[in-house]
Amino acid sequence: MLAYVVRRTLYVVPVVLGVTLITFILFNIVGGNPVYQKLGKHGSASEIKILTHEMGLDLPLTQQYLFYLKQCVTFDFGRSWSTNQEISSMIKAGIGPSLSLAVPAFTASVLLSIFVALGLAFFRNSIIDRLLVVTSLGGISISLLVYIIFFQYTLSYKLGVFPISGYDTSWSGRWEYLILPGIIWVITSLGNEVLLYRTIILDEIFQDYVRTARAKGLSEKVVLFKHVLKNAMIPIITNVVLEIPFLYTGSLLLENFFGIPGLGGMTVQALANSDFPVIKTMTYVGSLLYVLFNLLSDLSYALVDPRIELD
Amino acid sequence: MVGGDRFMRRYFIRFSIFFLTVVTLGGCSNNKGDSRFDNYVHEAIVANVKGFDPVVSGEDLYSGIVMGQVYESLLQYNYLERPTHVEPNLADGMPQISKDGTLYTFKIKKGVYFNDDPCFKATSGKGRELEARDFIYSWKRSADPKTHSDTFWMFDGKVKGMTEWRDAASKTGVTDYSLPIEGLSAPEKYTLQIKLNKPTPLFLYYMTMTGSVALPHELAEFYGPELQNHPVGTGPYKFRSWTRNAEIIFDRNPHYREAYYPSKGEESDKANGLLNDAGKRLPLNDGVVFTEVVETQPRWLNFRKGVYDWIDIPKDNFDSIVKNGELVDELKNQGVVLTKWIDPDLTFEGLNMEDPVIGKNKYLRQAMSMAVDTSELIEKFYNGRAIAAQGPIPPTLIGYDPKRIDPYRQFNLEKAKELLKKAGYPGGKGLLELVYEINSGGVYRQMTEFFQQEMAKIGIKIRINMNTWPEFLEKTKARKAQIFGLAWSADYPDAENYLQLFYSKNASPGPNNSNYNNPEFDKLYEKASIMLDSPERNKLYQKMVDLVVEDCPYIFDVHRKPHILTHGWFKNYKRNFIILNYIKYYRIDVAEKAALRRKL
Amino acid sequence: MEKPSIGLWEEAAQRFFKNKLAVVCLIIIGFYSLLALLAWFGLIASDYSVTTPESYAAPSKAHIFGTDIFGRDVLMRTVQGVRIAISIGLVTSLIAIPIGVFLGALAGYFGGRVDELIVWFYTTMDSIPDLLKIISLTFVLGRGLMSVYISIGFTTWVNLCRLVRGEFLKHKSRDYVHAASALGASHLRKMFIHILPNVFHIILINFSSRFILGIKTEVVLSYLGLGVEPGQPSWGIMIDDAKLELPRGVWWQLAAATFAMFFLVLAFYILTDALREALDPKLRNKT
Repeated sequence: MLAYVVRRTLYVVPVVLGVTLITFILFNIVGGNPVYQKLGKHGSASEIKILTHEMGLDLPLTQQYLFYLKQCVTFDFGRSWSTNQEISSMIKAGIGPSLSLAVPAFTASVLLSIFVALGLAFFRNSIIDRLLVVTSLGGISISLLVYIIFFQYTLSYKLGVFPISGYDTSWSGRWEYLILPGIIWVITSLGNEVLLYRTIILDEIFQDYVRTARAKGLSEKVVLFKHVLKNAMIPIITNVVLEIPFLYTGSLLLENFFGIPGLGGMTVQALANSDFPVIKTMTYVGSLLYVLFNLLSDLSYALVDPRIELD
Repeated sequence: MVGGDRFMRRYFIRFSIFFLTVVTLGGCSNNKGDSRFDNYVHEAIVANVKGFDPVVSGEDLYSGIVMGQVYESLLQYNYLERPTHVEPNLADGMPQISKDGTLYTFKIKKGVYFNDDPCFKATSGKGRELEARDFIYSWKRSADPKTHSDTFWMFDGKVKGMTEWRDAASKTGVTDYSLPIEGLSAPEKYTLQIKLNKPTPLFLYYMTMTGSVALPHELAEFYGPELQNHPVGTGPYKFRSWTRNAEIIFDRNPHYREAYYPSKGEESDKANGLLNDAGKRLPLNDGVVFTEVVETQPRWLNFRKGVYDWIDIPKDNFDSIVKNGELVDELKNQGVVLTKWIDPDLTFEGLNMEDPVIGKNKYLRQAMSMAVDTSELIEKFYNGRAIAAQGPIPPTLIGYDPKRIDPYRQFNLEKAKELLKKAGYPGGKGLLELVYEINSGGVYRQMTEFFQQEMAKIGIKIRINMNTWPEFLEKTKARKAQIFGLAWSADYPDAENYLQLFYSKNASPGPNNSNYNNPEFDKLYEKASIMLDSPERNKLYQKMVDLVVEDCPYIFDVHRKPHILTHGWFKNYKRNFIILNYIKYYRIDVAEKAALRRKL
Repeated sequence: MEKPSIGLWEEAAQRFFKNKLAVVCLIIIGFYSLLALLAWFGLIASDYSVTTPESYAAPSKAHIFGTDIFGRDVLMRTVQGVRIAISIGLVTSLIAIPIGVFLGALAGYFGGRVDELIVWFYTTMDSIPDLLKIISLTFVLGRGLMSVYISIGFTTWVNLCRLVRGEFLKHKSRDYVHAASALGASHLRKMFIHILPNVFHIILINFSSRFILGIKTEVVLSYLGLGVEPGQPSWGIMIDDAKLELPRGVWWQLAAATFAMFFLVLAFYILTDALREALDPKLRNKT
């Protein structure tokens, strides 16, 4: 067991290294020249040379890679090319808003999905079940962009129910700006999650122990809540844990449209500005989170369920 | 099943309660309107601000506008008079200029203080008084190779010794601020002397620009590169906060020197109510909230809700609210006012004169120029709110000739086809696909599709390439762009600001993006650059425009005529985008605002 | 003794065609594909770029879905959008499926070092957030439809690779493979002639789901200005246009693109699900 834990944990290292290598190749080698961008309209030849040297772009590639690696390890990602801000402080500033949107929306959609999925499992194979499944599928067959455009226009503008865009950094003031994007987030993730949880729960329902419980005379409700749900929670939680790393970018589109100054909006900005240091950092941090949460999920799975075979 | 029904019912009830709570919460808190900022100007900026370092982001339009409320320069433009002209700001009176035009002596106003800030350790946080040497320090910063300034061009080769100071710093890799610059000296505490290499009549305009503002050395020493997030100036406003990509708030500067709203302007000003605040002490409001809103829709919708004080009507909303040149009743009843202006700007397609296909073939360029139906462009994308450009120089600038007709900017498909034949590509045969580089997004994409269609009418195939702004810059700076779409807004009220775009020494990476190179033009340009405004100089200007019109390095599109909407409570709006420090003149009628907002 | 079960397909077909909804979806997809083909050959909707003076005309007899800013017929643009959507599904499959299958086969079959290397590679690729991967590639490759194909194709093969690897792991020690070895078959022969046919069902399911991913990604890319080049009417560009049009009351371009996309994507979702049920119910949770 211990051997597995150690092996599995150490495996994080080559994967993360691989990520730094890929991002380095993509951005530093194949990507464009940042010098012109930083110099703006009036760069002269001598300035170009000075800046190239300052940015370390005239060093051999291996040295540049090692420098990048050092940055990744020390979490000092340098400065943004377009705003000249320290990237680590940009991230610190952006995390608050992103999580303020992501955490409530994600929690709501998970709870809601489990809710609905349980209901569907209860009413399995009935018309309601088929209808809701198709509705869920239908919901995710429409692009997120369409939801944003449509709801912002009808709910915010025409009906005035929500503010159109913007953000308030105070703790009490921010929520009214996050409600509409939150609702859209929930609607667009519901489909996937409901279907997934429904499948998981249905799998459990067909297990032997359920038949046994029913044979013992327990009501369907008790069967669902006490037994099925508890057992289904393991794969559900695994799934939830794996989704968490993706929260940190908030949603790129939602933040962009609703003017929420989070990490997702920051990433879209960086993309529009060819701001490679920021894009590289977001990619790296995202990968790091994904790898770590996968590790967490794998390890906890192993601890929780001794039936699982580890290869 | 009885059990099942209760089950489902409980589910449904709990869910509905949850949903309703969410919606109600959202709806309830919508009309908060933080009353702390009622007497603040609320302005929406359409691009993200880069930072507040005047020598690094001074050239960026929106960063410059925002900074211009906190940092001040020696001179400013008169707010009301038209055509506008320079007047003293931090300078005490206009400078003395020597007879040969190379020596400028400025007196600095006494009793001007920088904002209070912890960087002034010597005075325990109280702002220090402004002195002449503050300007020398601030301008040295633009010459410092370490700042990678984009405003150095206004001093480079113009102020004696500045280029040399910079070269010395780049050579040694160390910038020594104590080393003197021959052309900049402060013989007395409030006297600044500037020696130029040759007479430069435009120098006074440079003294209004963001790159020339006064910044205290304590700020740079205390904050280092972080000063770009934290401006400390002498202006009517003081920095409060900046939520990145969201909001910038400035408060009124309680120690702002005495400055007053002008008492005279144009003839029409009195009738328009622009003299109601004549003689009042500036700033007229308690502060300003800038909100960065890149997307058009949220910006428009927020203006309608009264969140922003004014807006330039987006093209897609225009037809529904302006009929026959008049605002529709719905908005009039809400107290909204429509005003119409002309901006000194120019939109154009740049053609790369160094490109082997386009640059060497004048007939091809002229053919393209005659195939664009500008009136359709104006109707579709500007709602008729633009003038077809007949040359590079826009209206309101000294040197603009309203009677000029550009023969190659008349829409004539037959003539265009003829010219294309003369160019060697009858019907477009033999011509490879031309590439049009743009800086992505929404409306601009549609406009380039329009250009694509116009070119198709004479048989020229265009491929459109979307770029991020840095990619776009890189391609144009490296002279790799064949056709590129751009606009140029006047930095100062002299046509030279546009003629310099064709001066060969300004070729990429300078502002001459089409890399136009005409020795005859250059000679005329150099001659005119040392002349003051006069009929002789104007003759030279017109000759230069003749050359450019004939050679078509640009396809001149339009000069825009913005239609501005202002809310009833917002007073003293008078547009001229060369003037950057305008917020101090705006007044909010707080009572009117409360009353009108209820109607929105 | 187990053999590659050809019977699987007959059983699957039976199960599949019993699902009436799935059959309807198949027909819908077929219809869309036909439209795409016809459009590609210029037999229909060829006037999609023809401009008329009736800018922003509401739906009418002449233009069933109205016109856009240049007076172009929205219905024709939508049909061209079908062509682009289907082409994205096809071309990205042509790129991603061979990569995924090849790497998965190598990893599962050879095991050992080869497997470790490939697993490391795809774990690394997989940990990078999808959208960032795709967008980063467009930076490198430039813009336009070609780049969209390549960037989506080169970044979405990981799932398939995993599954194929799993199958190859399972099958390589099966009897029929041993039998083939005994007959002197080479590795390549065993991998691609004997084992691969047993993996086709996974490939088919993956192929179907790929369209969904491709179509949705194109919309986001076009909004960010990183998608199809201007001039080409993709659904993403139409929705991006709609962003500006809605405030002036022009809803038809948004509606047309959304509905066209809705039916196609929904059909693919249902088809993919039905394929899973039919081909291997046990795979329900994994693909």
